[in-house]
Amino acid sequence: MVSSRAANRLALVLISAALLLVPAVVGDFDAYQIALYLLLGIVTQGVALCWGNVGFLCLGQAVFFGLGAYLSGTLLRAAMQQPVMLALLPLCLLLPAAIAYLLARAVFGRKVDNGPFFSLITLALAMLASLLANRFSGLTGGFNGMVDIPDLPGTDRYATLYYVIAVVSIGSTWIFCRLLRSPLGILWSALEQNEERLQFFGFDTGRLKAIAFAIGAAASGLAGLLYAPHQGIVTPSAIGIGMSTQFVIWAAIGGRRSPVGALAATVIIGLVSASLRDRYPFWEALMALIFIAAVLWFPQGLSGAVAPWLRWPARWVRPSTSLTEQQAPALSSGAPSGGDAVPHLQLQDVHVRRGAVRILDGLALESRTRGICCVIGPNGAGKTSMFNAMSGRLTADRGEIWFNSQSIARSPAWRVAQLRIGRKFQIPSVFPGLCVRHNLLIALWANRLSPRDYLRSAPLGWHSAFGKRLLSRLPLLQQRPELAAGSLSQGARQMLEFAMVALMEPRLMLLDEPCAGLSPAETQQLMEVVRWSVDHLGASALLIEHDMSALEAIGGHVFVLHQGQLLAQGALAQIKASPEVRKVYLGGRK
Amino acid sequence: MTLPVPLLTFDNLVAGYADTPVLHRVSATVSAGQAVGVIGRNGVGKSTLLRALAGIIRPFSGSVVWSGQVLEGQAAYAYRALGMSYAPQERVVFDELSVADNLTLGQADRDLAIFANSFLLFPRLQSRLPQKAGVMSGGEKKLLSFVRIMSEEGALSLLDEPSEGVAPENIALMAQVIQQAKARGKAFLLAEQNIDFLLSVCDHLLIMDHGEFVASAPLAQFSRERIEAYLAV
Amino acid sequence: MTAMHASALATMGLDLLYVLSILALTAIGLGIVFGLLGVMNMAHGEFVMLGAYCVVFIQQRGLPTLMALPLAIVVCATVGWAVECYLIRTLYSRPFDTLLATWGLSIVMRELIKAAFGAGYQNVTLAAAQPLQLGTLAYPLYRLELMACVFLGLLALGIWFGRSQVGARIRAMTGNPVLARAVGVNTTRLASLSFVTGVTLAGLCGVMLAPLVRVEPYMGLDYLLNAFFVLIVGGFGSVAGLLAGTGIIGATQSLTANLLDQTAGYAAVLIVSILFLWIRPNGLIARR
Repeated sequence: MVSSRAANRLALVLISAALLLVPAVVGDFDAYQIALYLLLGIVTQGVALCWGNVGFLCLGQAVFFGLGAYLSGTLLRAAMQQPVMLALLPLCLLLPAAIAYLLARAVFGRKVDNGPFFSLITLALAMLASLLANRFSGLTGGFNGMVDIPDLPGTDRYATLYYVIAVVSIGSTWIFCRLLRSPLGILWSALEQNEERLQFFGFDTGRLKAIAFAIGAAASGLAGLLYAPHQGIVTPSAIGIGMSTQFVIWAAIGGRRSPVGALAATVIIGLVSASLRDRYPFWEALMALIFIAAVLWFPQGLSGAVAPWLRWPARWVRPSTSLTEQQAPALSSGAPSGGDAVPHLQLQDVHVRRGAVRILDGLALESRTRGICCVIGPNGAGKTSMFNAMSGRLTADRGEIWFNSQSIARSPAWRVAQLRIGRKFQIPSVFPGLCVRHNLLIALWANRLSPRDYLRSAPLGWHSAFGKRLLSRLPLLQQRPELAAGSLSQGARQMLEFAMVALMEPRLMLLDEPCAGLSPAETQQLMEVVRWSVDHLGASALLIEHDMSALEAIGGHVFVLHQGQLLAQGALAQIKASPEVRKVYLGGRK
Repeated sequence: MTLPVPLLTFDNLVAGYADTPVLHRVSATVSAGQAVGVIGRNGVGKSTLLRALAGIIRPFSGSVVWSGQVLEGQAAYAYRALGMSYAPQERVVFDELSVADNLTLGQADRDLAIFANSFLLFPRLQSRLPQKAGVMSGGEKKLLSFVRIMSEEGALSLLDEPSEGVAPENIALMAQVIQQAKARGKAFLLAEQNIDFLLSVCDHLLIMDHGEFVASAPLAQFSRERIEAYLAV
Repeated sequence: MTAMHASALATMGLDLLYVLSILALTAIGLGIVFGLLGVMNMAHGEFVMLGAYCVVFIQQRGLPTLMALPLAIVVCATVGWAVECYLIRTLYSRPFDTLLATWGLSIVMRELIKAAFGAGYQNVTLAAAQPLQLGTLAYPLYRLELMACVFLGLLALGIWFGRSQVGARIRAMTGNPVLARAVGVNTTRLASLSFVTGVTLAGLCGVMLAPLVRVEPYMGLDYLLNAFFVLIVGGFGSVAGLLAGTGIIGATQSLTANLLDQTAGYAAVLIVSILFLWIRPNGLIARR
């Protein structure tokens, strides 16, 4: 990822130079053709942003492109009488962006995995848009299109407009590249890899997706704005499914993670297709087969093939800039859970049913103490389900859960995380494609990064005092901070995930078998760090464990769960001696 | 007395989920007419062992030999035809199907006659034949799962906590059924935490901890206290 | 109420029933593939298109129209089997890639048909053009035949699915695939069979619809979207859900189209589906 940044920069420089020289080299007519595909390439960049970098696919991107084009055509024609209409041109970007934002919020609002439905809905939207464009011929010119669109004031579509388009497409590429390197871009990348985990750091992932979609839509609208004066005519084919499909194919072949790749593929394949399409009737079918192959076997597309070639000379373009270290801002104490009050957790008569199974059956539990409390119980007792109910993964049908007087029983995961409740999963859940340093950064950003900071580069260098002390105790993580988290060993990943949870500086930690799969030595090391963190933060922690030696070492309060209820609680010695608990563990029934 | 015929032998088995190993080089043999019990607390790897042996998950390394044939890459649905039956610990029945359908799903015809003996022992099951299995209690579902697997003709049955949630009187009957099957030459490998059931059924015990066998010996060599110590809090 | 009003009302009722029948017919194939197997088959509409073009093919060669039925079955079953074996089977654990791959497949199918038959509309002639007289009501016979076929067909399919051993095995495989395999059910073969059945039903739907609608390479998209909306609203994996979804989508489209126009009807269906995604993400009658 890091070296591809420099490669991208080199590619951008080369392409910019090439683009600006085009009219001189190939003449105005070919430049006109290339300009068209540059515009379409900007739309493809919008599709690629959402698909390759955030993880959802829009099958109807032409809606935003066409909307921008029709608006632009209307305004330019009206401006011939009233030049003031030109001031409304920004609508070509703003209206698509607004529609995109609202649509994404609606579809992604409730469920995490609505991706495929989103694609379907955008497809339907494209169909509807082309139907509307055909029907309201008074506004759009109907099937024959909106004709006689004048030039963009100050330009000539066959000569100077090319340079405007070239500069805009270079600018768009540069903006997309910068976005991907900003904190927002890293958050998007994390979202694509592990959306649920990102939510547990307090980020509203639905909103992040909506922002990406809106930006892509705005870019498409901008392309449409220039398309209308460039072509002089806008027909419904610019807004329908056929056009939308083209964008997806170009994004797949060019490389959906690379704005440069998306632009290049559109221009190259677009020009080639335009000349070959009429000669070979099976050309489109062939393109579709290449698309399937790209999806199945070459997710990086052309840019993945080209990038290694650029990486070598890229080092000479510019040395990598080092980031200035900066103290992270204080945690947003917006949560009324704040300050130094003893964390107070209360579960009241919580019921969760799945079909006929009573996962939690009137669970009542209260914890008002600092330090670690253990949660034990046989299989199916409801330990993990209790954590799930507390952190938005499972909705309680009945009952209430209070944390520091805030009700969390039916809150989504990110809102619970904003109350400074941190969750560690049994199977280590990190962002496998990001490096260790970025994983830890995201944890540091939890509840500290405000939307104002999304585009600044300063947050990339944040550190916290607590974080420094924590990491000094986990040398395994400091060895190679640029290593991708997915290539770490199981033990290292468990430690990384715990470090991320601790960096959040939570008031309550929910730790689900944090030492699962670790060797005895690693277990000891991690448990020491856990104990130190909980002490240092003055936090409360609930720890699910089976390991007897770990329980003995911790020696705190113990809760015993059985069949979705609290069976017993007390000190470990008490629990061991309790005949009820013995019976449950040795196979008897309550 | 004839030597026991080894049916299933696994050697240095390493298995787990994703790239995390849960079993660390376990080995054992199950012979015809023998019931081997695997005991240990939650999370030590009992279910993982049974899943690896039943073909549900692929082991990372190690070998599994069944009746002299090395098992490698067979599809999970072929195991029953090979003679190995499996009853999982969770999701033990088909909730959406009727009890009758649950029992006859694996057969070509839908003949309930072969269950006559089982219905004598567990009349409650017979009364629930047309009902959907999903409405039954956890213990009743386990009973249904047990009756189903006992009706399969294979030489070895892998049972994952068959007595969990079952009423004590029925557990005793289950033990009886297993003893009768053993006398006919059937072999069993069961993961359990119910000591009474283990003592009444097993010939050999494997104690598991942290994915390894920490003890392996005939039942007679264990005292009840020793077993309890391995299981209790 | 005069006889005129009564027959106008009856016509509206029959029209609504007709719309619902078509919707149910197109949705059932996708209900099997998506509802039972969890495969997002974006090429579902293209199988409907294949069936319709079978009729075109038969009629262009002057053969009796009924021969289109076995032809469609053979074509769709073969293509479906190949698609399941080489494309879908490798992607069962990656639903998003399945969507993309089948989307690419739909493009390939459309383009191949376009290359073979041309991009324009094809005319399919209808034999039984006489309307049936019921008192003062005259209703096209073919539509009535279609509604009867759909009703009987769905009834038979529903009964078979609920009663037969194969139906039980499919339901077992859908609900608990691990246990199904443990019991010895060959889930690979069963999944392939189910997929082939689903797309073949879509093809048969295309054959029946060919005389009534515009046959052109892009015809499939409508059916794809409508079928998915029915499943989104009604929920997957249950017959009751399919019927509920059909009822709601069909009624919304019909009523809005009657009050305003086709385009408004389409927009109304889209809005209703988005609403359902927002309010009841698992559909009306959630199974999964």
